Amino acid sequence: MSDAVSLWGIASAIGILTGLGVGFGALLGAVSERFKGDDHPLVEQIDALLPQTQCGQCGYPGCRPYAEAINEGDALNKCPPGGEATIQALADLLGREPAPLDGEAPEELQVAFIREAECIGCTKCIQACPVDAIIGAAKQMHTVIEDECTGCDLCVEPCPVDCIDMLPRSTPLTHWQPVISPAAGVFASDRTLAVRGAE
Amino acid sequence: MTLSFDFPGGIYPPERKVRSSQAPLQRATLPEQVSLPLRQHSGRPAVACVNPGDSVQVGSLIAKRDGLISANIHASISGTVTHVSGHDIQIESDGQDTWDTLAPLSWRDTDARTLLARLDESGVVGLGGAGFPTQVKTRVIVRHAIDTLIVNAAECEPYITADDITLQRYPDDVLEGAQLIASLCGAKQIIIGIEDNKPEAIAALEQAITRSQLASVTLTVIPTRYPSGSEKLLIKTLLNRTVPSQGLPADIGVLCHNPGTLLAALNAVRAGQPLVERIVTLTGDAIARPGNYWVRLGTSMETLLAQVGLDTDRLSGVVQGGPMMGETLDTLQRPVVKTTNCLIAATQAELPPGPQESPCIRCGACESVCPVQLLPQQLHWYARAQDDDKLARYHLFDCIECGACSYVCPSHIPLVEDYREAKSRLRHQQIETAKAEHAKHRFEFRQARLAREEAEKQARRHARLAQTKSPTSNNRADATAQPASTAMPSAAPQTDLRSLRIAQSAAKAAVRKAEKVLAREAQQAPHESHEDLETQLATARENLKVADLQLAQARENTQASTEESP
Repeated sequence: MSDAVSLWGIASAIGILTGLGVGFGALLGAVSERFKGDDHPLVEQIDALLPQTQCGQCGYPGCRPYAEAINEGDALNKCPPGGEATIQALADLLGREPAPLDGEAPEELQVAFIREAECIGCTKCIQACPVDAIIGAAKQMHTVIEDECTGCDLCVEPCPVDCIDMLPRSTPLTHWQPVISPAAGVFASDRTLAVRGAE
Repeated sequence: MTLSFDFPGGIYPPERKVRSSQAPLQRATLPEQVSLPLRQHSGRPAVACVNPGDSVQVGSLIAKRDGLISANIHASISGTVTHVSGHDIQIESDGQDTWDTLAPLSWRDTDARTLLARLDESGVVGLGGAGFPTQVKTRVIVRHAIDTLIVNAAECEPYITADDITLQRYPDDVLEGAQLIASLCGAKQIIIGIEDNKPEAIAALEQAITRSQLASVTLTVIPTRYPSGSEKLLIKTLLNRTVPSQGLPADIGVLCHNPGTLLAALNAVRAGQPLVERIVTLTGDAIARPGNYWVRLGTSMETLLAQVGLDTDRLSGVVQGGPMMGETLDTLQRPVVKTTNCLIAATQAELPPGPQESPCIRCGACESVCPVQLLPQQLHWYARAQDDDKLARYHLFDCIECGACSYVCPSHIPLVEDYREAKSRLRHQQIETAKAEHAKHRFEFRQARLAREEAEKQARRHARLAQTKSPTSNNRADATAQPASTAMPSAAPQTDLRSLRIAQSAAKAAVRKAEKVLAREAQQAPHESHEDLETQLATARENLKVADLQLAQARENTQASTEESP
């Protein structure tokens, strides 16, 4: 009886288990370090769902800061350009209740347009643009690069001569436009006739 | 050779080809004026290079290709340019029909580069319907080894007989065109796939093959079944090779060309004649003289149909292309373009409007006819529900839009319309996502640049401060600097320095990673633009500069404080 609970037996068991634990722990640690996957922290995932207009309507200076704020518990419904779809996607990701949008979603995509004849070259809009989509220099005419503009309208406010308009974004003919009416009666029409012919 | 394999599904719609295949090939009368759209091919529209008032001859270059996937456009009549816009060029005829052709080449003694340049100059595109530039298609040998050229003469759509007539009239030329393209892309064998409903074309081809005594050409007659002429299915039928999902035939060493394209390619090389006309099938019950016609590109459909005796009272609608995959035109004020292979002027009795759509009853009829083995009814549900993940899982993008499912649907659901819409929506979403990603990178770069500018300003201010301070600090303790350095606990600069050092090495690693990703992508796809990756690299570099500046400044601070403290 005393053999079974000998000190040596207990010590060796503890020793072996500890050794195994340390050994596997080290192995797992090494493997996780060696084969580290691309980690996407939650902030990145939230940021990916935001529309990246960088408009600041949420009260934060850009989409990334708002993503960080959402991660720390801020409300999901502060992004008007994203609209209901973004709120829903964020709610799905974070497992929170979707709330109605705080503000009004824009009806169409927009771009800024500078009426070049009126521009005085003050560079204020250039400093305001979050994506460097306006080119120009002091006392030179400025213009908006349409492809880079996100339509955030942050440049409209600082302009001292009000020469910036927000216009609907033009879509080239090659882009998709909603198909309103499916062509009537081309498909599945021969069949009826074929059946009639067979009869 | 008669060996052929099978593809699943398929349907047998009434062919109605006899009407247009009986009449001999004719020339349509020269149009008084033409309107040539700048986008008659897949890819980017061409860029106009003429001005209103310029006089042009048949074959004069009027619009140049823009970018890799695009094609030149030539004047199809001689006369004066009357109108140039962002969409089309209009030319008024002078009635002379004078030609401006390129120098004829003998393709057997000309090197491949000259031939490719000729195809490029001549604006030859695929005439089967997609309009993909032929020279780009031939250039795939840069990336893929091609062993087989398939001449797609199946022409499985009802009504259309343009390829049939082309083969009946010009079998030798089509064969020679096939040899030209095969020699350009290094294909060892040429297989002509043709449906068994074109006996005259088959006979003509057999004679042509015997005449040319080519061992590398085989003619395979396949059973008539829609949609056997779909590129992927034809490859499966002829070679028993399967094109991978969302892949290209070139991935498995095959190129497919339409007989009309081969003829146009040969004409461009042998006669120096750019693509200015094509064979169009004009058919339908509302036409008095149906048949195939050589038509100059840009001819208005209205005048063209009027020439062949269009009965406007009986006309119910005009379909461009075949009845299965074509589109119903809402106006006839449209020009014939490079991809117009057929115009069907249908009467009410011929193509009656489809019955009212009813709900799907899950009968599975569509599934059994789908030639690419998708589940059309599932796709239908998910397309209507806009469930994009499910659509991807059910391989929406492998749908060839053949219309077999809509044809057999007992509930008359326009299934293909749904798929087309869903596809366009998904493509649009992809574009928008890419745009958002792009904006994000530009925003990040701007933030990094502002941080760098701020750090530089700090550094300059610091340097100025140190300069003004240094001559005085030896003599007497500086009143402003002293409290600042003593106020900080001595451990704080050390930890600050350490975290800055970590930040700097992290920034360095980020730059290295961005460089590596950019280099890898640039190697994999050298022709594409990597603007976003370049922006990311620039952002990482800016961040590194900030970290460097901050670290240098912190080091100076600690040095100064250690010098002062003893």
